[in-house]
Amino acid sequence: MASSGSGYDLSSSTFSPDGRIFQIEYAAKAVENAGTALGLRCRDGIVLAVEKPLVNRMLVAKTTGRRIHTVDEYAGLAITGFVSDGRQIVNRAREEASNYEETYGTKIPPETLSARISTYVHYFTLHGALRPFGASTLVAAYDPGTKRHSLHMIEPSGVCYEYYGAAAGRGRQLARTEMEKLSINPARVASGGGEGEGGGGGGGAITVADGVRQLAKIIHSLRDDAKDKPFELEMSWLCEGSGWKHQGVPRDVIADAVEWAKKEIKDNAEDEDDDDDDEEEEVGGGDVMEE
Amino acid sequence: MSRDSNYDHHISIFSPQGRLYQMEYAFKAASSASGLTGIALRGSDCCVVVTQRKVPDRLVVPSSVSHVHNVTSRIGVLATGMTSDCHAAVQRMRYEAADFEFKYGYAIPPAVLARRMADLAQVNTQSASMRPLAVVLLIVGVDDERGPQVLKVDPAGHYLPFVGAASGAKEQEATNFLEKRVDDIRGYTLDETVRTAIVCLGSVLGSDFRGSEIEVAIVKGKGGKFRSLTEEEIEEHLNAIADDADA
Repeated sequence: MASSGSGYDLSSSTFSPDGRIFQIEYAAKAVENAGTALGLRCRDGIVLAVEKPLVNRMLVAKTTGRRIHTVDEYAGLAITGFVSDGRQIVNRAREEASNYEETYGTKIPPETLSARISTYVHYFTLHGALRPFGASTLVAAYDPGTKRHSLHMIEPSGVCYEYYGAAAGRGRQLARTEMEKLSINPARVASGGGEGEGGGGGGGAITVADGVRQLAKIIHSLRDDAKDKPFELEMSWLCEGSGWKHQGVPRDVIADAVEWAKKEIKDNAEDEDDDDDDEEEEVGGGDVMEE
Repeated sequence: MSRDSNYDHHISIFSPQGRLYQMEYAFKAASSASGLTGIALRGSDCCVVVTQRKVPDRLVVPSSVSHVHNVTSRIGVLATGMTSDCHAAVQRMRYEAADFEFKYGYAIPPAVLARRMADLAQVNTQSASMRPLAVVLLIVGVDDERGPQVLKVDPAGHYLPFVGAASGAKEQEATNFLEKRVDDIRGYTLDETVRTAIVCLGSVLGSDFRGSEIEVAIVKGKGGKFRSLTEEEIEEHLNAIADDADA
């Protein structure tokens, strides 16, 4: 069994003797080592968060090197892995959304957008002349027709599922564990609540306001400040409050959430003191992120 | 490219023994990639497909994990293998079916669709630049002239009609189970076909199921629609099977 590839890993169009395609697995590794991207489906919307490591102190961090992009009025994408690969996916998604509206006269439904992206990503795993995308994509979108919001994630292999909570990148294992504890899976929210299935929505008991805080907490708790470079926390949402439009979370809300998160982490930690050397630049006020 | 002398292992060319290794590896990927087993049966006037529903983790919405798809309102497919390849194959099937109906003015018969997908699969076994799709398709529908049809299309481009067919990890065990009952299956009603399919899956996997752990889809009668059974309907069948077992 050639678990190290040994010759079967040179192209996407080659199967190994045990039926694996190593190029796809290597592409997934590229994502595993990258900054964490999280998505949470809440009762009243979806929150996306990406950890953007700052490679250079001279960077204008807040507005460049974006990892969350608006694709259509009611749809947004978060990418992690090779961000330049991710940018190609974003461009394609924008084309798909715009073509769909031109052809059919309505906004592209979330499932259709995700299916189109996944078919596109999958195509690059078929040809020997191409390589797979080294990026995972989280799609947050709202369908004005069915009034339902949903979160999907597309991996480098082209596999696409709908999620209550999705995580990709370095901290995904821990993030998944934390997300499972939140009440986002309607089947597991206590039936007495009666709020498990919102009218035509779905999403559990947690709201977007909570979601922002929880994701900030997850990202901050994954960091080892002694070892990791400084980073910028990008967050966006689409929710009832934003009119279901995909927008950046206002900076003061992020700053607030980060403060809360840090306090929670500190309180939860046994006897550590972690709030010294993290050089985030989230500052209150300033412009709302717009695409 | 590679200086490996086993070039025939890397792209779709013949080995000195006349084998196509890449195609064989594609078969392996199709049967073991997802770890699932799928079964399709045809009764006297109906077709049934059954497979497991394995949700990868608790954060995934279960309804988005499905291997059973509608191609047209009357033809369905159970696609097992690499998930993204399955998705691509189903997309292509939908396109082919719609294109056929647009060009010729009537709904594509299941066998014609199967043949088309088989031809497309064969192309990849002859070209160096594209790999075969690691998917086994079980196409089901009720043909206007020939009645219920189950067709199996594999990565090599074979397609054959079956009374009962299986795909995936436990294909051989399921086929053995069905072979013993093939004469009876031909005459089964819808309920009998569904229950036989579920019992077959249960016996090869060595376990019982709940309604949420399997997917069952049916199409019955000429002009019948291909549809998935709800969890309640599946539970009804499971209860009936349990009662029969006790009786």
